[in-house]
Amino acid sequence: MTLRVLDPRLSAEGEAARLAAPLDSLDGALVALLDNAKIGTERFYDHLEAMLRERYGVREVIRRRKPDASRPAPADVLGELSAADAIVSGIGD
Amino acid sequence: METLQSPLYEVADAFEANELFQRNGWTDGLPIVPPTESVVSRFLDAAGVPAGAVVGVEPVRRRRITAEKVAIAAVMAGGLPEYLPVVVAIVKAMCEPEFGFHGVTASTGGSAPFVVVNGPVRLALGMNATHNVLGNGSRPNATIGRALRLLIINVLGGIPGQLDRSTLGHPGKFTFCVAEDEEDSPWLPLATERGVTPGASAVTVLAVESPHQIMNEWTHDPRDIAETYAAAIRANMLTYSIWAGNYAIVVPKQHRQIFAEAGWSKRDLRERVHERARVSRREWRAVGKSAVAPRKDEDAIYTALRSPDDLLVVAAGGPAGGFGAILPPWYGKKSLAVTKGIDP
Repeated sequence: MTLRVLDPRLSAEGEAARLAAPLDSLDGALVALLDNAKIGTERFYDHLEAMLRERYGVREVIRRRKPDASRPAPADVLGELSAADAIVSGIGD
Repeated sequence: METLQSPLYEVADAFEANELFQRNGWTDGLPIVPPTESVVSRFLDAAGVPAGAVVGVEPVRRRRITAEKVAIAAVMAGGLPEYLPVVVAIVKAMCEPEFGFHGVTASTGGSAPFVVVNGPVRLALGMNATHNVLGNGSRPNATIGRALRLLIINVLGGIPGQLDRSTLGHPGKFTFCVAEDEEDSPWLPLATERGVTPGASAVTVLAVESPHQIMNEWTHDPRDIAETYAAAIRANMLTYSIWAGNYAIVVPKQHRQIFAEAGWSKRDLRERVHERARVSRREWRAVGKSAVAPRKDEDAIYTALRSPDDLLVVAAGGPAGGFGAILPPWYGKKSLAVTKGIDP
């Protein structure tokens, strides 16, 4: 006799957050960089911002920092970022 | 009975079910009880909760944790249906913002959720509050705690090397759940102190580093006993983290008797430890941290607890032995203890 066992993982429907559809091009785009307040993020984002502007023609970059790496971004920060065409969110160190 | 939503896999038998879960990384390394539809439904029925009910949402990544997934984890862990309401209450507590579920799951600091159960449910489930209380031996203690880890692995993605970035972790990450010895304690239960109606069942969860045992069997002076706990906390502040937050201490009967004879309540003990568990920044120099000591005023005093209320005093342990433990917080006040009532 066989057994049927249930998948213990979260299904796709359980994901309240999903990635936005990708942009066709970054040319002329407004890109937001959300800094998770970890020690290495600022320097990494300096480099990323320069690359986005110089190599990909990004028009404007908004940078905001979370007050704490392990908590959600505050609503006002998310509100400011919502104007962007794309958001890069930092995780980890 | 509400229909379960999780995908199903057909396997030859229980051995192969475990092999499937091991192969896919859906367990903690130990074998699991196969979560079949009938068993998972039995757990949900016992808790009176619909499969699709959202027990909680992890605040950072917005993962919606359904009762179905909690029940699957509780079955896998090897528990009984009547344990599920306790697991559900703990998951609800961990989803409160002050617990910082994402941070404690992902951090290199490698903490584990430490759970204290209070109220009549302890006796109904036969939980252990005495011999070897921080170790093995009790099915409800072991499997309620383990269900949390399995849920963190499978629903939050807290897989070592993936979302779980712990440098070391510690053995409490397999399971870390105790009952408080209310019947043999002169003190108020932890949950009652934290605002739960006396006589109601509740859980308290705190993200902790590994427990550190202390020993003092050579005094009847409550101040001496309190000092040994405070000294272990001071050592943790110097060698691990100086930041203030919730600490838990587990106080065995032999120490409780000394406090009781002297008329010390939990409050008295908390106040004493708050007063004594503090270090100056300069002391970092003696433990190899000279490089960071001078970054700020070295005469500044740091307390382990922001106030006496930050200390969770838990009455538990075997009847003999002057062995207690301190359980340090993951990272100061970034994760705080949360207490929740258990829905019957």
